[in-house]
Amino acid sequence: MFGLHYRLERKAIGLVLAIIGVSSIGGLVEIAPLFTIHQTVEDAPNMRVYTPLEVAGRNIYIREGCYACHSQMIRTLRDEVERYGPYSLAVESKYDHPMLWGSKRTGPDIARLGGKYSDAWHVAHLINPRDVVKESIMPGYPWLARTSLASEDLGLHLKALRRVGVPYTDEMIEHASNDAYGQSAPDSSAAEGVTKRYGEATNVRAFDGNAGRLTEMDALVAYLQILGRLTDAATKPVASAEK
Amino acid sequence: MIGQLTKNERQNALAILIAMAVGGLVMTIGGRNSLLGVHGGLVLMIAVVGIFAMTATLKLPDPAEDRLNAYYDDPTKVGIIISMVWAVAGLFVGDWIAWLLVFPDLTFDAAWASFGRLRPVHTSGVIFGFGGNALIATSFYVVQRTCRARLPDQVTPWFVLFGYNLFCVIAATGYLMGVTQSKEYAEPEWYADLWLVVVWVVYFLLYLRTLSRRKEPHIYVANWYYMAFILVVAVLHIVNNLAVPVSFGSEKAYSAFSGVQDAMTQWWYGHNAVAFFLTAGFLGMLYYYLPVRAGRPIYSYRMSIISFWGITFFYMWAGSHHLHYTALPQWVQTLGMTFSVMLLVPSWASAGNALMTLNGAWDKVRDDATLRFMFVAAVFYGLSTFEGSFMAIRAVNSLSHYTDWTVGHVHAGALGWVAMITFGAIYASVPWLWKQDRMYSAKLVEVHFWLAVAGTLIYVFAMWNSGIIQGLMWRTYNDSGTLAYSFIESLVAMRPYYIARAIGGLLFLLGALVGCYNIWMTIRMAPRESAKADRPEPGAAGAPVLQPGE
Amino acid sequence: MAIEERDSHTGYLTTGHEWNGIKELNTPVPKAVYVFLIATVVFTVAYIVLMPAIPLGVTFTKGLLGLDDRREVTRAVEDAAAERAVWTKRIETGSYQDVAADPALMRSVRQTGRTLFTDNCAVCHGTDAKGGHGYPSLVSGSPLWGSDADSIAETIRVGINATHPKTRVGQMLAFGRDGILQRADVDNVLDYVLTLSGQPPVRKATPEQLAAGKATFAAQCVSCHGEDGKGKADLGAPDLTDRHWIYGGDAQSILTTIWNGRQGHMPSWEDRLSPVDRKILTLYLMDLRKSP
Ligand code: HEC
Ligand code: HEC
Ligand code: HEC
Ligand code: HEM
Ligand code: HEM
Ligand SMILES: [Ca+2]
Ligand SMILES: [Ca+2]
Ligand SMILES: [Cu+2]
Repeated sequence: MFGLHYRLERKAIGLVLAIIGVSSIGGLVEIAPLFTIHQTVEDAPNMRVYTPLEVAGRNIYIREGCYACHSQMIRTLRDEVERYGPYSLAVESKYDHPMLWGSKRTGPDIARLGGKYSDAWHVAHLINPRDVVKESIMPGYPWLARTSLASEDLGLHLKALRRVGVPYTDEMIEHASNDAYGQSAPDSSAAEGVTKRYGEATNVRAFDGNAGRLTEMDALVAYLQILGRLTDAATKPVASAEK
Repeated sequence: MIGQLTKNERQNALAILIAMAVGGLVMTIGGRNSLLGVHGGLVLMIAVVGIFAMTATLKLPDPAEDRLNAYYDDPTKVGIIISMVWAVAGLFVGDWIAWLLVFPDLTFDAAWASFGRLRPVHTSGVIFGFGGNALIATSFYVVQRTCRARLPDQVTPWFVLFGYNLFCVIAATGYLMGVTQSKEYAEPEWYADLWLVVVWVVYFLLYLRTLSRRKEPHIYVANWYYMAFILVVAVLHIVNNLAVPVSFGSEKAYSAFSGVQDAMTQWWYGHNAVAFFLTAGFLGMLYYYLPVRAGRPIYSYRMSIISFWGITFFYMWAGSHHLHYTALPQWVQTLGMTFSVMLLVPSWASAGNALMTLNGAWDKVRDDATLRFMFVAAVFYGLSTFEGSFMAIRAVNSLSHYTDWTVGHVHAGALGWVAMITFGAIYASVPWLWKQDRMYSAKLVEVHFWLAVAGTLIYVFAMWNSGIIQGLMWRTYNDSGTLAYSFIESLVAMRPYYIARAIGGLLFLLGALVGCYNIWMTIRMAPRESAKADRPEPGAAGAPVLQPGE
Repeated sequence: MAIEERDSHTGYLTTGHEWNGIKELNTPVPKAVYVFLIATVVFTVAYIVLMPAIPLGVTFTKGLLGLDDRREVTRAVEDAAAERAVWTKRIETGSYQDVAADPALMRSVRQTGRTLFTDNCAVCHGTDAKGGHGYPSLVSGSPLWGSDADSIAETIRVGINATHPKTRVGQMLAFGRDGILQRADVDNVLDYVLTLSGQPPVRKATPEQLAAGKATFAAQCVSCHGEDGKGKADLGAPDLTDRHWIYGGDAQSILTTIWNGRQGHMPSWEDRLSPVDRKILTLYLMDLRKSP
């Protein structure tokens, strides 16, 4: 073996090829089958896609680096299931490009956050967390409520997402900007299309408390309120777990 | 610097700068409605400054031919200085975000100053800015010495160094503006990623060309590691960053993978960024500077082989230990865990090889803080790889994951291993490069050493404590069989440790500042008398000198 | 061609190569490394045989032990619930009074309730349940929807102005903004409301103005807040005569309340917390109220 190496280490190209060969194996064995083994991602026929407003909110979540402190992945451990709810399934992040499972819990897991708190609470909390949770060390994001949401190019975002595999329809893409506005202005004419395209259960509300203005706060809160609610695939096993 | 370039090379450099300016202009115009345009403007500005600097020198005469008899060290010198600048910046931001977790209102109501945006500035700043520049700079230095060959030309190394730093600057300024794709250690968006591919391919070719000019029949171990670092990082980078941009005028792109496949790809990347950036690259560094400084032969050539191939093979399987108990299928977790355990063998073989090399030089370790930096680095390397393999065991990871224990492990590796070996290498090479007998002040090296050690220990112990307490509080049950503590209670319990960590970090940062001062003063010291006649070569007596090209 | 030499310190031969002064010893790999390597490989093989491990195209090896994380955790949660049943059963079936009278059960309620409350409710109602701006105190004042345990349990189950189909609905109208009352009327009724809780009016209100305020109150407000202003539990309208306020009892806050209206949102917990957990929370709150 050492003799073989003695010859190999005299050839730069040989060394290069050997490194590439030896280092490729692990990744190939572990990643490729994730695309071919069907059980990897569970079936969830009723799963819906993110609305344009939620996509925008998700992008703000990414932009502000919330994932640095919050995980969105409840592990298969008793204490996590008892604290946060049913463990996360792979299918729940099927439309997440990229995933936001996180690696650090400076704040709590928020995989099942949707519906847990009110919009008003989220707004107050995001503006200054210590107004509502005095022990909090989360930063405040007051500018979100002041900043209008850039929603003109949301159609392009949906299109790009379709290209990587999210089943947006032409209609969804066409109406993206309008739907973003409609979802946060329940009394406007634009609201109707949102439930038509994304389902009756879609949250259509003035998320930031002001229906007249579409802000980044609207988008982020809309996203937070849908966390864990694109599909109910995960809540079924826990119902049995609780009994 | 520029004086060494030939007329031809200066023209080439100018052409590259002009191409870059055009690229910047296209980005500025195409991205005028998005943050891409801001980066375009930045590129344009940098290119224009470069063009002015370059045109001013076009008329200079060609440099003397005898430059080809010496190694080309200007890029190394500049790289080391840039590396120290990033060190101070990255450590400063690290300490700042550490204080942010103690005083969360230190954000001045500004978006760029919030924890989530500054954190990647810290991680990229230290890993890519400080670590990456140190790796590039030392790799140029080492490959020339160990091949007894000069770099093949004088433009490519500058392209690699400055091109790489352009990537780092785009990355860091991007995070401040909110440009990130959220993949840890791969945060920069698509256009920065593409640029890095170009730079990296050129770096690889440069390395290969230098190797092929070598006059030593055998390629030295350090170069195996540097090669693995360059090659594997390229593969990881390209695969993990596959994405579809929203448009060519937008900074935003959507990752090609989603959900569980994306998670596995990301941590295959993330873990091996640790392996081939923070480990392989720095082992290359260690394999050169430690034996030279100690004046001892490498303890075992055969152990070098075992550990090199062990690391190259096993590491690539271990990424799934970042996803234990998640929605990643369990079979992948099994592989990640078992290979992480096997990985300990080559890791400790490397650490052991380094420490055994010091046999016969322990008196030097005692007296010479520079060598002591390298010694401590090897110890922390052994420690953090042991810890890593331990944390990769699923039962352990169920406690440690998501907690500060991971952060403690990271910094045992990052401060204790990566930063210490780098400081050791820099203290060793600065006098050699600037043709001095020694650093300006050995005392200050000593001061830096103790600040670094104290800072690291405080940091790591604080995080071990907080991480384990946190993990235990989350899973402690009271005697009724229900959860004993709420999340907020665990948060409150962290505060003293966060304060301790921030103080430890401050010490570490102070040490780096002392180092900068010392390096600066060394550069400014009058060059030693014999400098011109003498090769600026390290302690090892009788080292063969570069021979004129054949 | 390489010239090997013997290192005087260790006694080993070098490989004979030299790179800028660096030499390498040809020391054999210490036995310990091989032993260690074999041990970890054996461990790996054993573990891979026992656990799900090897991908095979469209499936993977399940391992001899047949273990699966998802089944394991479901079982662990069920087992734990079964173990807790010794006391949770009694809470499930017992009446509130009986449980409250049982010190052992109440100990479990306090232990469990505290964590449940802090993880789920405290962000709004405060760790001490004393409330905050916009969120009622749960330990003082008279509860909006009734003070008996069943009312509180029902509030927790369905929420207030929540998305639950049976949610409690309570709304304080926007008398000013929606033009139901003129500014002068609002000022008058504001002064009157202040006097209800024994506070001085904002301005030196004339007896006529106070009377007008009282009349407006009788016309507009009593339907919800009651003749005496003590609130109505079936509408979730709060008592205005005590000194406990959700939105603040100073003139400015009350004015804002009357002008813009209020509609607090308390989420429903039916889908999130099990019946036992909700009952524990109810008991926990009743208990807090008794011993603030
Ligand atoms: C410095 C770390 C940090 C960052 C960055 C951060 N958070 Fe938090 N977050 C926390 C902590 C700590 C808590 C727990 C205390 C509290 O509720 O404020 C928390 C709590 C929360 C909660 C309440 C979760 C629950 O179940 O109680 C939400 C929602 C939330 N954060 C959303 C966000 C969003 C959205 C962002 C980014 C815009 C963000 N956080 C950024 C640390 C952080
Ligand atoms: C998103 C914020 C929020 C959370 C979380 C929340 N509540 Fe509430 N809760 C409210 C608000 C707001 C009200 C008052 C509604 C109103 O003003 O009409 C309320 C009212 C109540 C009431 C009625 C008080 C009364 O005076 O009648 C009870 C009981 C209660 N909450 C218990 C709980 C419990 C138990 C939990 C946790 C399981 C909880 N709440 C979590 C916001 C919240
Ligand atoms: C349709 C029923 C209704 C009518 C009519 C009504 N209120 Fe209310 N009021 C409520 C409800 C329900 C709340 C609690 C709202 C909440 O907590 O979100 C409330 C809350 C209030 C509060 C705030 C109490 C606190 O603790 O902060 C004040 C003050 C008040 N009402 C005054 C009035 C006055 C004055 C009038 C008449 C001009 C009036 N209300 C008429 C239902 C009503
Ligand atoms: C002054 C010294 C330093 C301080 C005070 C510091 C502080 C911090 C802080 C506060 C975090 C965030 C942890 C969290 O989210 O809870 C962090 C993360 C990180 N730091 Fe540092 N740091 C320092 C030096 C370094 C160095 C030298 C490196 C690398 C060479 C480094 C690499 C990292 C990495 C990789 C992370 C991300 C860890 C993870 O995601 O788990 N740090 N650091
Ligand atoms: C045998 C070698 C090693 C193994 C098996 C290993 C294993 C691990 C494990 C299990 C984790 C925790 C993953 C999680 O729970 O999220 C981790 C995190 C980490 N390790 Fe190591 N480690 C090794 C060596 C190192 C070294 C030398 C460094 C150098 C700095 C390092 C840097 C990191 C970083 C930066 C992270 C944080 C990743 C994140 O962002 O979450 N590791 N490692
Ligand atoms: Ca991390
Ligand atoms: Ca709005
Ligand atoms: Cu790892």
